[in-house]
Amino acid sequence: MTAGDALPRALRAKLTVLVTLALGSVALLPAAHATPYVPSSDNVVLADLPAGARYRDLAARRLAQARLDVAVPLAQFYIQQSRLSGDLRYLGYADAVLAPWLNRREPAPDALVLHATIQQSRHEFSAALMTLERALAARPNDPQALLTRATILRVLGRYAQAGAACEQFARWVEPTLAALCIQGVRGLTGQLDSAYAELRQLSPQGWLNTEKSWLYSELGEMAVRLGLDADAQRWFQQDLNLVPTDSYVRAAYADLLLRQGRAGEALTLLQGQESFEPLLLRIALAQKQLHDPRLAQSSARLRAAFAAETQRAESVHRREQARFLLEVENQPQLALATASQNWSLQREPDDALVLVAAARAAGDPAAAAPALDFMRRADLRDARVSAR
Amino acid sequence: MSAHKPWPTMLSVMAVMAVMALLAGAPAEAHIASNGFLSLQVTGSHVSGALELAIRDGELAVGLDRDRDGKVNWGELRAGQSSLQSYVSGHLALIGVDGVCKVSFGPLQVNERVDGNYLWLPLNADCGTALERLTIDYRVLQDEDPSHRGLLTLSAHGEVQSAVLGGGSGAGAAGGRLFELVQPSPWSAFIEYLRAGIWHIWSGIDHLLFLLSLLLPAVLVRRQGRWEAVPMAAPAFANIVKVVTAFTLAHSITLSLAAFDLVRLPGRLTESVIAASIIIAALNNVFPRVTEGRWRIAFAFGLLHGFGFASVLAEMGLPKGARLVSLIAFNLGVEAGQLAVVLAVMPLAYLLRSTAFYRRALMPWGSSAIAALALIWFVQRASG
Repeated sequence: MTAGDALPRALRAKLTVLVTLALGSVALLPAAHATPYVPSSDNVVLADLPAGARYRDLAARRLAQARLDVAVPLAQFYIQQSRLSGDLRYLGYADAVLAPWLNRREPAPDALVLHATIQQSRHEFSAALMTLERALAARPNDPQALLTRATILRVLGRYAQAGAACEQFARWVEPTLAALCIQGVRGLTGQLDSAYAELRQLSPQGWLNTEKSWLYSELGEMAVRLGLDADAQRWFQQDLNLVPTDSYVRAAYADLLLRQGRAGEALTLLQGQESFEPLLLRIALAQKQLHDPRLAQSSARLRAAFAAETQRAESVHRREQARFLLEVENQPQLALATASQNWSLQREPDDALVLVAAARAAGDPAAAAPALDFMRRADLRDARVSAR
Repeated sequence: MSAHKPWPTMLSVMAVMAVMALLAGAPAEAHIASNGFLSLQVTGSHVSGALELAIRDGELAVGLDRDRDGKVNWGELRAGQSSLQSYVSGHLALIGVDGVCKVSFGPLQVNERVDGNYLWLPLNADCGTALERLTIDYRVLQDEDPSHRGLLTLSAHGEVQSAVLGGGSGAGAAGGRLFELVQPSPWSAFIEYLRAGIWHIWSGIDHLLFLLSLLLPAVLVRRQGRWEAVPMAAPAFANIVKVVTAFTLAHSITLSLAAFDLVRLPGRLTESVIAASIIIAALNNVFPRVTEGRWRIAFAFGLLHGFGFASVLAEMGLPKGARLVSLIAFNLGVEAGQLAVVLAVMPLAYLLRSTAFYRRALMPWGSSAIAALALIWFVQRASG
């Protein structure tokens, strides 16, 4: 057999290439890696470092180890950064700053109050309440501690205790601030109309921006529960004109727009806010309404974020996760399980809303009973829930 | 708020202001809590894997941003490689039966995740004795960001465990966390060592180059100082079978002797002689001395290559209770890997054997290239 001689020249050339390739690929095999890579040049920028996240900032932290008057404003700064950006790492930095002041026989009350705020931001509500007890034991009239306690009790749906905490808070602050705390709770317990009227009568002239923002967001949320969407929109806009970084109100405003089918406007409102998980959820919801192909990317990011949170056994964004499963992923059963779990952790009107919606979508209306019973008992009125 | 101190001093105000001044534009990625991804694979006494850290977390650990422009580029990350390695050495410990395992690091790379770029640091640990349990003490970023966690994926003999590491500042967290590892069933050990054998022969190309140098002339005959194509398939086939069988037989013998600790050779000597064997086999194609019975070269040097395989196996360790099975599987993997390459290359060589390219280009110049490469290895290995 002399196959070689019979082989056409062209085929031989091809075979030659093949042999060379076969030999070459053997040599290249170990280089065939999965995902990690070596950037093409030294100048490729790999990361931007945000405020306070640099090695040299540790110098300020070292200073804070020895001095409470450095530790407190530094921790406040980090907590503020976390609120503004939705970046949870800042809470860890604040932890690091406070740690030496908490791990002492008699922890500094200021440090305890800030620690409770961090725990609240992580939705570790019972731990936060315990920390506040310690702070109040050392300093019974600390207004910040009293207000944080009232806020947490309200989020937990313990309205009688929240009201009492507001009354205590009222003894140490301006009547207008006291009214905000007190009317906020009344608005959730059968007296929504009058609470809304009371707050509308306040004239915020001379208030600090943060206080005005508190007023407008409270009014906006009440208007939503009253079904006064046009009013709500006005309050939200007023708040955002004043404090454009208020992500909490931006999310509530986006929800209102999405409910009205105004997804395009919602996207404009949320432009450039992808880094904040609750806002990224609203972006995804708007993209879904608009059949925007960028939904795939937003969903991938949310999935990764929720997966990491679940693996760490944390529950900061459980409510958002339930809404994501229900409204983006179309997984009503999983959404219901998540919404039920969320309801056992926190009981704001939005938490009731997602549980009721998930129960209905999953064909299990009885699963909504805990939320509906709770609302009936508290006499909590919400036009959005009634509309369903 | 702090009633017991009159007012913040200038210094503390400046410290906070310095931080505030650094406010940069918000990045577009979704924020996820600070996680390090630790993926480890246990084979015998050996642990391999990688630690992935967000570049931002790497900055906080060792300070990567040399030019202080608020960005980290690849050049800066590379420059920080050794400080990252020593930081990780000091904050991550793998502890086996014999105590803390010796950890070494591979070259740094980058991995893109949904929340931004991560540095990817490959690591290898030698724990001495085959691992039945492994303790992992993860203290990465513990001081800089107590909310940082290590998300562990630990696989051993086909079973994968995951866990969240770190976060313990209390006394109970000291000393790390203990993981019980499943012991391999003979079957899973067989598969694992078979794979390792195949992978070794494919990734360490020195054994393949030796074999190919001996096989290139298998489809030719030497007549009057010239290479000519073998007229028929049968003698070519016989040549190939003889060489492959001799090589296999020889390295199986020494691999077994070394695996059961009956014979031991210093690693550097073995590696150098393996490089030398490639030079000799390749040069024999350029200046033919042995033209008949190349299988004798295959056998003689195959004995040495077996010691090379044994050093890989020694690094992996043989699992208790499945030593013989694992040894056989590794050996079979090596044979399968080498057979796959022979089956891919030799039919083509056979078809091309009468071309001028094969006889006058590939034979002398391809072989010379192999010899040159092997010479470099020889110098490197001999000088150590």
